[in-house]
Amino acid sequence: MSKVVVIPCSGMGKVYGLIAREAALKVVRELKKDEAETKCLAYLVTGDEEIKNYMQGKKCITIDGCPKMCAAKNAKEAGAEVIEELKSIEFAKEKRAMKPGTATNLNEEGWGVVDYIADKIVEIIDKMEVK
Amino acid sequence: MKETKVGIVSCSGEECLGGTISRLATRKVLEKLRMGETVTICLPLFIAGGEEERLFAKVFPTIAVDGCSKLCAMRATEKYSGKVNAVINVAEILGEEIALSELVSLKELPENYEEMVDKVANEICRKIDKIISDILTKEALEELESEGKSSGGCCCGSC
Ligand code: SF4
Ligand code: SF4
Repeated sequence: MSKVVVIPCSGMGKVYGLIAREAALKVVRELKKDEAETKCLAYLVTGDEEIKNYMQGKKCITIDGCPKMCAAKNAKEAGAEVIEELKSIEFAKEKRAMKPGTATNLNEEGWGVVDYIADKIVEIIDKMEVK
Repeated sequence: MKETKVGIVSCSGEECLGGTISRLATRKVLEKLRMGETVTICLPLFIAGGEEERLFAKVFPTIAVDGCSKLCAMRATEKYSGKVNAVINVAEILGEEIALSELVSLKELPENYEEMVDKVANEICRKIDKIISDILTKEALEELESEGKSSGGCCCGSC
């Protein structure tokens, strides 16, 4: 099975963008190295043929920091099959972590949300593998 | 003088250290070094957002900050929004090997990462200062020219 592409929005102005980014990185660099990877979202935005060809039909999990849903929209635009559209703010609410840090750095609460989202993504990937 | 803010669009790339440094340096400029003189936008909003977001580089003189020589922030901004006034390539400042390192998370950053952020942030500030000074010079020249025209004489002030 080809790797699942995990794409965070990495929103520049919002802590929830940074949380999305760190959660994606935790999955692709620590928890699911062999099963998941990420691609630079800004590269997808350029619309280059190379990345569009790569993303064509790829199973993709997106994590967005606000209702604009940039990662999900751009991944679809690039031709990926988005199987889950996650919202980092929803997970922060579930964890009652409403002061998770800033768009530059996370505090303990923020890293807690990162771990929580990363675990959810691992669950999603594990389910896909079973199927 | 009109108040001029400079727009900074960072690639914030997720695949290499250059992307993380582009993000951290941009944040440092926005929050500390040039607070109040700068604005940013989430780059993927050029596609996910509306007309207002796509006007960004037309409304603000804009600097693209890219993590590597693919220059995604510059190319995406110019494709969807408008011409940028300057480009910063982290790989040019720190070297390809460092910029393309796979240590991307804030938890994995090399010990001397703050030095790297400072180098890039200072370069962004240099570009901001140049853009603002060019705008001020242009405005001053235009003002002198219009004063000269309205008084019907030379604008040098000494004759
Ligand atoms: S989803 Fe929201 S926070 Fe994330 S990049 Fe888009 S506008 Fe920014
Ligand atoms: S410029 Fe390089 S680091 Fe930045 S988004 Fe593009 S490929 Fe990624």
